[in-house]
Amino acid sequence: MAETLLDIAMLHADTLILRAKQGDQHAQGRLVQLWYKRIYNFCFKFFQDHDLAMEVTQKTFIAMCKSLPALQDVLRFKSWLYTIAVNYCREEARKTKNKKAVSFDLVVNPESEQSPNWEGTNVRHDNPEKVYQSRELSDILQQALCMISAEQREVVIMKEYEGMKFREIAEVLNISENTVKSRLYYGLEALKKILTGKNINKETVHYEI
Amino acid sequence: MKYNPTEADWIDYLYGNMSSEQVMRFEAYLIENPEAQKKLESLQEMRKWMTSVEDKEVIAPPLFITNAQNSFWQFPYAKTILSIAASLLIIIIAGWLTNFHIQTDGNGIRFAFGEEKIIEPVDAKPNLTNEEVQVLINQSIASNATALEQKWMQQQEELKKSVNKNLARTASNNEKFDLLVQQVASASQTQVQAYMASMQQQNLKSMQEYLTLTSNDQKAYIEGLLVDFAKYLQQQRNDDLRLLQAKITDVEQTNNQFKAETEQILTSLISNNNGRTLPTGIRN
Repeated sequence: MAETLLDIAMLHADTLILRAKQGDQHAQGRLVQLWYKRIYNFCFKFFQDHDLAMEVTQKTFIAMCKSLPALQDVLRFKSWLYTIAVNYCREEARKTKNKKAVSFDLVVNPESEQSPNWEGTNVRHDNPEKVYQSRELSDILQQALCMISAEQREVVIMKEYEGMKFREIAEVLNISENTVKSRLYYGLEALKKILTGKNINKETVHYEI
Repeated sequence: MKYNPTEADWIDYLYGNMSSEQVMRFEAYLIENPEAQKKLESLQEMRKWMTSVEDKEVIAPPLFITNAQNSFWQFPYAKTILSIAASLLIIIIAGWLTNFHIQTDGNGIRFAFGEEKIIEPVDAKPNLTNEEVQVLINQSIASNATALEQKWMQQQEELKKSVNKNLARTASNNEKFDLLVQQVASASQTQVQAYMASMQQQNLKSMQEYLTLTSNDQKAYIEGLLVDFAKYLQQQRNDDLRLLQAKITDVEQTNNQFKAETEQILTSLISNNNGRTLPTGIRN
């Protein structure tokens, strides 16, 4: 994963965390700005629902600002923040377990010019076929993610998309590193099985990543 | 001992977390097991595909966190405690305004509103002895029995009178009814006779009228019939006469024609035998 300015800022955010911990609202705001996209994307991949992801992300940051003074080790801020996010995700998943609703995002016609998918596409000038295949595979993968167990999903998202170390994931989930690896292994296998079921294989995916 | 990698080993190899020795051992295992090689490729492929899911862009909304964390209202049960206290206060004030009392004694608990009335104890000393009370009760029973007996007798007499009166009234009604029945019977005989006579007269009259009308109609009908028959006969006679005349005329015409033809034949015969003696010896 390429290092962006944001990543560099995250890595050197210890001072910011310290200031936020001491009650500096400006620093807290900066921390929110730095981590908002990461936490939102984690939640979005967990739920596949924009509204739920937004709600959980906001809850996570409100809890972060309130509980920051209680944070013992500044170096563990990342895993601490993800712990809050995971807990809220699980809570929300329990609440919405028996609810059946259709997200407004799904109602929007993806083919439409006004569709958010078009607005959000930053590779519009690439090869259209490649763009289409990539988007299709992305959609199928995200659906497949929702089909595996929540425990495996958490680990897969944290490792593959959040780029966390096994130690950090183990800290967030309060489990051993071996359990993390085991969940990741079975998660990947389950995903592969789902994709095979959807006829996604080496032959059907013809694009270079 | 045969090496059999765990799930953790697979993941370590996949994410490059193995030492060089472990890598060599794992790769040797892969060479020995083509199935494991396929599995690894499958997992690597899966990881490769997963990179197609990109992050969504999102703008962080501004967060406003107040510093009133330690205020009384932030205390988790503050509202509950306060609401219970307020309820208790309302109950106490309501009890005070309504002068609510709770009393306990040997008979149990007593809840009361308003001021308590002190009832003076009644002197419980008896004025009458048991015998006197028994005498009073006996007197009362005897007087009640006498009164009841008198009342009963009175009612019985009234009932008897009423029954007699009704019986007398019924007898007179029966007599009247018999009389009425007789009147009705006698009256009906004469009326029936009169009615029958009138009916006979009416029938006779209507029969006469009917016969008169019928005979007139028949006469007119027969007259009409005779006239029509006469007309028919006359017509038939005329037709016959016309037919006869036509036949006679026809015969007459035929005869005339025959006569003319005969004359013509005779003339021609005469003209052909000019002066020759006929075989019969007749000279023209």
